Amino acid sequence: MTWLDRQSFLGAKSDERLDAATVGLVGLGGGNSHVAQQLAHLGIGGFVLLDDDVITLTNLNRLVGGTLDDVLAKRPKVEIAARVIGAVNPKARIIMRQAKWQEVGDLLKGCDVIVGGVDHIGSKDELEAFCRRFMIPYIDMGMDVTALPDTWESLVSGQVVLSTPGEPCLRCLQLVTEERLKVEAQRYGAAGSRPQVVWPNGVLASTAVGLVVQLITPWMRDPPRSAYFAYDANLGTVTPSDRLSRRRGKPCPHYRAKAVGDPMFDVRRYLERMDKPAILETPLDPTSARASLVGRFLTWVRSILSHH
Amino acid sequence: MTVHLKIDGRLLDTVRQDLHRPHPFAYERVGFFTAGVADLGDRLLLLVRDYTPVADADYEIDRKVGAKIGSAAMRKAVQSAYRPAATLLHVHTHGGQGKPGFSGVDLDSAKSFVPGFFETTPRMPHGLLVLSNDAAHGLLWLASDRPPLTIDEFQRIDAPLQREWGNHDLA
Repeated sequence: MTWLDRQSFLGAKSDERLDAATVGLVGLGGGNSHVAQQLAHLGIGGFVLLDDDVITLTNLNRLVGGTLDDVLAKRPKVEIAARVIGAVNPKARIIMRQAKWQEVGDLLKGCDVIVGGVDHIGSKDELEAFCRRFMIPYIDMGMDVTALPDTWESLVSGQVVLSTPGEPCLRCLQLVTEERLKVEAQRYGAAGSRPQVVWPNGVLASTAVGLVVQLITPWMRDPPRSAYFAYDANLGTVTPSDRLSRRRGKPCPHYRAKAVGDPMFDVRRYLERMDKPAILETPLDPTSARASLVGRFLTWVRSILSHH
Repeated sequence: MTVHLKIDGRLLDTVRQDLHRPHPFAYERVGFFTAGVADLGDRLLLLVRDYTPVADADYEIDRKVGAKIGSAAMRKAVQSAYRPAATLLHVHTHGGQGKPGFSGVDLDSAKSFVPGFFETTPRMPHGLLVLSNDAAHGLLWLASDRPPLTIDEFQRIDAPLQREWGNHDLA
């Protein structure tokens, strides 16, 4: 008996498939904190966790696994996610960086699936472009809270999109538009933060995790290659969006199949690097060590003199 | 260091169908993949971009081999990989099930055409693939004067993702 026995209906070798898979989670503040937890329970074996932020008091309303102690310790969100995963599956292979994903993008290139928990339209656009270039299925989650006019109510909604090579992208589905990018750029740096709350994040994250499972296990015989689920928290519904059905069968004009791979790759440079012997740590030169000591002594004397 | 290859599932199905088409006189068909490359540190990732079949007229009669292609076919192939610079992978199928292998003829002919790929596109690695109906085997040269590396893993980008090209089998 294994800890995954109750999910054997996911199909032949599903445990091995889940363990062999590596999922990249970009942004761990809201939705992806749920995703990390659920993927750990499912037995996903590899994680790449990227977020440049630390937890703050206003994250506690939605960051699954975060505690008041973490807030006081200013703990990085990636460390909290890694702790949650490790508590469920200590054998999980976790790579984490407290950094913007664009600065450590190389770590994502080997992922089987990437789930984006990024707020900004521009970031979604960049992350999807990255995934298309390296033929990685991308799952995007987004949540919005909109004040309804002439009432005190708010509309809480969101979407989960599966974007795979050759299928409609976020631009095809009108989630990324030049107009939205322009509005966002004009607002850049403006004070205030977007409203966020835990339960819609949980619904969106569970929907995203379902898509990850469809991609990795043979649970469904013929799962769709793309998906767009629209969430209406006021009605309590998650429904397939007709934006996708309108695009089905039409080629994506934004990402060409030929634009894959690193455009700067040069195998000659690669071989030069591979052929170089490993750099061994050189023993300390006693002469330079003495010179360094003399230099430090002189600096100290000068600083004493300058104070007098 | 290992070598992995990713291909869109629908493209792979199209290629298999294309390679199974009978030819007027050749016993088997040949085509070429172009691919991009990414350096993942511990592995090289080949990302298949496109497929170009060898035109019927570019085969030559040779009863000693399954398929012999002429210089026009090679010229068209290297042109397809010239700009943007792409890895060129010669591909044919042996049909059947399970991991296929290269014949002596396959390996001998590779020795003659792989150096030609490097002359036109020296900044990319190049190679040779053989398919079965559910798996693949491949070799990749990083330079024309070095022995080739085996392609360790094939991944079909589809729903679900498949690490080998068979029915839900991990590599």
